[in-house]
Amino acid sequence: MSRTVTIDPVTRIEGHARITLTLGDDGQVNDARFHLTQFRGFEKFCEGRPYREMPALTARTCGICPVSHILASNKACDHLLSVTIPPTAEKLRRVMNLAQITQSHALSFFHLSSPDLLLGWDADPASRNIFGVMRQDPALARDGIRLRQIGQTIIEMLGGKKIHPTWVVPGGVSAPLDATKRDAILALLPEGLEVAKRTYAFYKTLVPRFVDEVRHFGTQPTLFLSLVSPKGHLEHYDGLLRIKDAKGNIVEDMVPAIEYGRLIGEAAEDWSYMKFPYYKPLGYPGGIYRVGPLARLNNADACGTPFADVALAEFRMLQDRGPVASSFHYHYARLVEIIYALEMMQRLLEEPDILDARVRARARSNRDEGIGVAEAPRGTLMHHYRIDDNGLITWVNLIIATGHNNLAMNQSIRQVAEAYVDGNRMQEGMLNRVEAVIRCYDPCLSCASHAFGEMPLAIELADAAGNVVDRLSRG
Amino acid sequence: MAAGAPASPAAGSATPGAAAARTLVIGYGSPIRGDDAIGPLAAEALAAGPLPEGVRVEARHILTAELAEDLAACDRVVFLDATAAGEPGAVRVRELAADAGLASSMAHFHDPRELLAWCATLYGRAPRAWLVTAAGESFDYASYCLSPCASAALHSMLAQTRRLIERAPPDA
Repeated sequence: MSRTVTIDPVTRIEGHARITLTLGDDGQVNDARFHLTQFRGFEKFCEGRPYREMPALTARTCGICPVSHILASNKACDHLLSVTIPPTAEKLRRVMNLAQITQSHALSFFHLSSPDLLLGWDADPASRNIFGVMRQDPALARDGIRLRQIGQTIIEMLGGKKIHPTWVVPGGVSAPLDATKRDAILALLPEGLEVAKRTYAFYKTLVPRFVDEVRHFGTQPTLFLSLVSPKGHLEHYDGLLRIKDAKGNIVEDMVPAIEYGRLIGEAAEDWSYMKFPYYKPLGYPGGIYRVGPLARLNNADACGTPFADVALAEFRMLQDRGPVASSFHYHYARLVEIIYALEMMQRLLEEPDILDARVRARARSNRDEGIGVAEAPRGTLMHHYRIDDNGLITWVNLIIATGHNNLAMNQSIRQVAEAYVDGNRMQEGMLNRVEAVIRCYDPCLSCASHAFGEMPLAIELADAAGNVVDRLSRG
Repeated sequence: MAAGAPASPAAGSATPGAAAARTLVIGYGSPIRGDDAIGPLAAEALAAGPLPEGVRVEARHILTAELAEDLAACDRVVFLDATAAGEPGAVRVRELAADAGLASSMAHFHDPRELLAWCATLYGRAPRAWLVTAAGESFDYASYCLSPCASAALHSMLAQTRRLIERAPPDA
C-alpha cells in the first residue's frame, strides 16, 4: 500500500512550502514533490498600474531580496524608456546589487544552513538552529551578523533605507553618490573581505566531512543558466545569457537577455503555485536547468577579481572534470560570490567617475514592451512588462530565480529521499536531509514576511486512505 | 505588527556609522498595512523632537538579525510595535527578557526577545528592554494612515516611550 510522508512546513527557508514523499509497499520512495503553498498573484494585480510603479510594487514580492526586484524591474523600465542609463548609474546599481548578494548569501549560509553544516543532520532538532551554532562557534555567528550588517549598511547608504529603497529609478538612480558615503562604504569593505575569506577558509575544512551528502544532494545532470559578461566572466547585473550542459559544453552563448523567451518555456503543475521553467529546445521536463551561485560559477570563465579567482579555481577542483554537479556545493559557491562581491564593490567605488552627478536618463515610454534581467542572489531574475499607450501595465511575466530551480529542486529531493529515507522507520535526521537539499538552493518563495507565530514542523506518515500511521513533530 | 508585512521606510534612523547610542528605540511594522504603521510612525515622531543625550531612534519594517550587534552596544532598548490583541487603542508597556526558545524558522523576522537572546549568547550581554504596543483596529491596506483609534493611541505610546527613555540609565 502506498504511503505519503509530508514535511510541512519546510523550515529554515524563505517562505512557505511543503514536501511530500510517496512511498511504495517496500517503504522506498516512489515520488517526491516540493509544493509551493502560498499564492501571491503579483503578475495579475500589477495589471492596470502605471509602469513607473512597478519597481516599488514588485519589490514587495520579497523582504529579503527586494533590491533584486528593484533592479530587474527598473531595467525593464529602462527598456520601456529605450534609454541607456549613464555609466555611473550603472556602476552604482551594480554596487547595490553586490551588497544585496553579500547580505543575502550571508543570511543563507550562516543563519539558515550552518546549523546543519556545523551541528550535523542528525543533531537534536531542538538545538539544531542558530542558537546551537552560536553556542558551538560564536565567532562564526558573529561573522555572519557582521557580513549581513555590512551588506545592509551599504544598501542603506546608497538607497536611504535597508529594505525597499527607492533610490534606483527608471533611467538610472535618483541621486549621485557623495564622497563621504563612498569613503564610508570603502571603509567597510576590508573588514567584510577578511570575514568572507576567514569563513571561506573555515568552510573548506568542513567540506571533506560531507562526502556522502555531496554524492546525493542533487547531482542530477542538468543545464546551467546564468548571465555572463561579454568576456564570459561572472556577471550579476547585466550581460548576456549562457547555458552550459552537464558536461560543460556551451549550448547557448551571448544571448541578449531580452531574448529569454526563445530559450525558456514555462510549465505548470496542479500541485504547486510555482511555475516550472524549462529550456525550450529540450522540452518539458527534459529541459531541466539550474540557476544561482552554482550555475554562475560553472558558467563563468573567470570571476575577474583576485581572491575570487583563486577561490573559483579551488571550486572547480571539487570535481575531477566538468561543471560542479552537486547542489550541495551551492554553499561553497555562495562563499566565493561573497568574496567576489566585496572585491568588486571596492573596484567599482574606486572608479574615477563614481561620484559623477549625471546618474539619470529621462524619457517617456518609447516602446510597449520592456524586459529586465539581473542576477539575484538565488539566480537569474526576469521581469517582462507590456504597457498600453497611457503607460499602464497590460501584462506581466516574472520568472524568479527559485522558479528556474523548481524542476531541479524536485529532482533533488527525490534523490535525497531515495538515498536516506526508509519509510519503514522514519527518523528525523532523514527528513532533515530532505529539507537540507532544498536549503542548498536557498529558495525564496515569494516571501513577504508573513511569519505569524510559531512555525512548527509536522511530518506525517499516512496510508493511501489518509490514515496517519506515524508522526514526528518539532517546534 | 510583530509579524511584519512588507515595507517600511527608515524614518528617523540614525546615520550609519554614527557613534553608538546607549539607548535605542526601534519602531517597527509595515507602513502600508494600516495600524501596523504605528511603530515606525511613533519612531518618526519621536525622532522629530528633542531626545535625551545618548538616545538613538530607528524605524524598521521588520526586526532582522544584524540588529543584534546594535542592541548589544546599548544599555536599554525600547521596541515600539502594533498588536492585533487587546482593545483597539490600548497601549501596553512590558519589560522583555531574552528567550532563546523563540528561534525563528525563517530569517524574515525576529521576535524582540529572540534578538535579545542573540545578544546574550553572542556578545555576553543584553540590554534591558521594553516593548510598547498599541492595539490596532485595522490592518488593511493603507499607506501611513492610522485608524482614529490608533491615531489616539500614538500619543499615549509616545508619552510612555518618553517616560522610559528619560529615566536614568540602568548604570546611573
